[in-house]
Amino acid sequence: MLNNLLKKLIKASTGRSRFILAIVGLSVALLLILAAVQIQVNYNDLLNSKTNQDSVANFLVINKAVTSSNVGATTLSNADIDDLKKQPFVDAIGVLTPSRFKVSAQGASDRIPFYTDLFFESVPDEFLDVNNKNWKWGDQSTFIPLIIPNMFLDMYNFGFATSQNLPQLSQELVMSLPIQVNIKTPLGNVNYYGKVVGFSDRISSVLVPQSFMDWANNKYGNDADKARPSRVVIRTKDAGNPRLTNYLHEHGLTTDTDKTRFSKYRQIVTGVVNVSWVTGAVMLLFALLIFTLFIQLTIATCQEEIALLVTLGTAPKQLQRFLMKQFFPPNIVIVLVVLAIISLLQFLLKRILDAQHFYVNGIISLYTIIAGIIILIVLWLVNYYTIRKYIYLQR
Amino acid sequence: MFFNIIVPLYMTISLNNIVPVPLKEKFLQRGSDVWNTEITFLKGEWVKIKAPSGTGKTTLVHTLYKLRNDYDGNVRWNDKTLRTIGDDELALLRQQNVSVIFQDLRLFPNLSARENIELKRVLQSPFYESNRIDEMAARLQVTHVLNQRAGLCSYGEQQRIAIIRALMQPFDWLLMDEPFSHLDINNTEKAASLIAEECQKRNAGFILTDLDEDTHFEYTRYLNL
Repeated sequence: MLNNLLKKLIKASTGRSRFILAIVGLSVALLLILAAVQIQVNYNDLLNSKTNQDSVANFLVINKAVTSSNVGATTLSNADIDDLKKQPFVDAIGVLTPSRFKVSAQGASDRIPFYTDLFFESVPDEFLDVNNKNWKWGDQSTFIPLIIPNMFLDMYNFGFATSQNLPQLSQELVMSLPIQVNIKTPLGNVNYYGKVVGFSDRISSVLVPQSFMDWANNKYGNDADKARPSRVVIRTKDAGNPRLTNYLHEHGLTTDTDKTRFSKYRQIVTGVVNVSWVTGAVMLLFALLIFTLFIQLTIATCQEEIALLVTLGTAPKQLQRFLMKQFFPPNIVIVLVVLAIISLLQFLLKRILDAQHFYVNGIISLYTIIAGIIILIVLWLVNYYTIRKYIYLQR
Repeated sequence: MFFNIIVPLYMTISLNNIVPVPLKEKFLQRGSDVWNTEITFLKGEWVKIKAPSGTGKTTLVHTLYKLRNDYDGNVRWNDKTLRTIGDDELALLRQQNVSVIFQDLRLFPNLSARENIELKRVLQSPFYESNRIDEMAARLQVTHVLNQRAGLCSYGEQQRIAIIRALMQPFDWLLMDEPFSHLDINNTEKAASLIAEECQKRNAGFILTDLDEDTHFEYTRYLNL
């Protein structure tokens, strides 16, 4: 009842157009800020969620770029590796151990005759993208399991085989072929049997189990110094992290650029998000300013009424409460409407991205809602202190 | 025989040598029962202060109601110095302990007469139900203007609305500044009897300032300003 009477006395009609302007400005500002939060969340979703992991590489093989000035000196020192390990974008690092002996392979049967000089590398199992129960080696093993790059088979099947009139080979066929592995020692060749147990998309090298590599290097290796690693594999949450790309560039390192290409998109997205942030923040500031002025104007216009109300015994607190009820609820409505709009946009975005096999959450993120609540708290504080200031200024 | 220990919850108003600063010279030369003296009003006293024009009648009422602070000396409500009372405490006193009828009436011209009264009724938890407005209006013969904008009412009607408004709240003291200046004898008597009843109901005192002597109330104290 008191509020109805106060409403008649303290009319906010004088600056109605300014008020609408402030509301529009605040809405746009909130839309920009909350959209920036939501875009950032979506982007992180795309990078890190399980369903999208295959679309974004997160294992990178890193080596020094071979240039005319460092030919023959591309090994990585312990300091290089340690420094890389310390970088925040590196979750784990695995050294590719090269073989320190000469090795060749040939067809073990006459059915598919071939001969090739070869090298082996090994890498800790956790960095492999091949899961095969035969991927193990011990003293009692009858064969050496090998992993070859998928790319090799593709090169053979679609380049070499067709041009040389040779049969194409399926993965299954290759895996069933017995291969004779010859290790050259000063005392002559030592023969083993090898078998391809898997194909890797991640590491472009002929891989043997670490246990075999250690054992063989120990037994047949010639020169310890020559065998410093030249390549490492790292696991990273985000191969598109611009800091990673920059680090590699600064240290003369190189990797599969196809996998880091994402960093360019990432920079663009970051740029868009930042512009949205800044614009939104500036607009929010102006909207707050207009709101403050509007409150000030309303109180100043009703100066006489407020003075008489206080004379009659209205407590400044009562007036403050009343004015808060007048000015604050529109802010709540704005935040709710903006959150609803972003929910709708998010839903539409999900439908568009689903068609392209990118998966984002169709529901607005918790961070966006939290950001909305934080802005609402800021609005409340600004309203509260402005009203307080000008009510007491009237006294 | 019973010995009751009475806690003095009732309000006293005491003046310690108050003199309004703008009129200081003038007032100090002239003898007065109020200015520049020690004086205490106990609750329940009906005080008449007779004051010719220009002796500071309105200044006194405004000073007692804390509308102005430009005076020497101190005013105390109970034991609180009026000068140092905070805004919210002052509002509470005006809602619960002290009511006022201004000489210049001070109604909101854009609210109806009823709304003006209603505002005072609901400013605190109501002392009276809203039908009491109609009863009082009927007694003072202003029922016909209740729904009219206060700004359109005659001074006589406005004065009666202002009186009813002042009686809508609880109070220990009622301050009145020429409360009947716009009323004829008949209406003055009706208003005075209503005020007397309401004061008795609350066991409240009043301080009334006027130009002339009168017999509207059974005053317990009579002072010259």
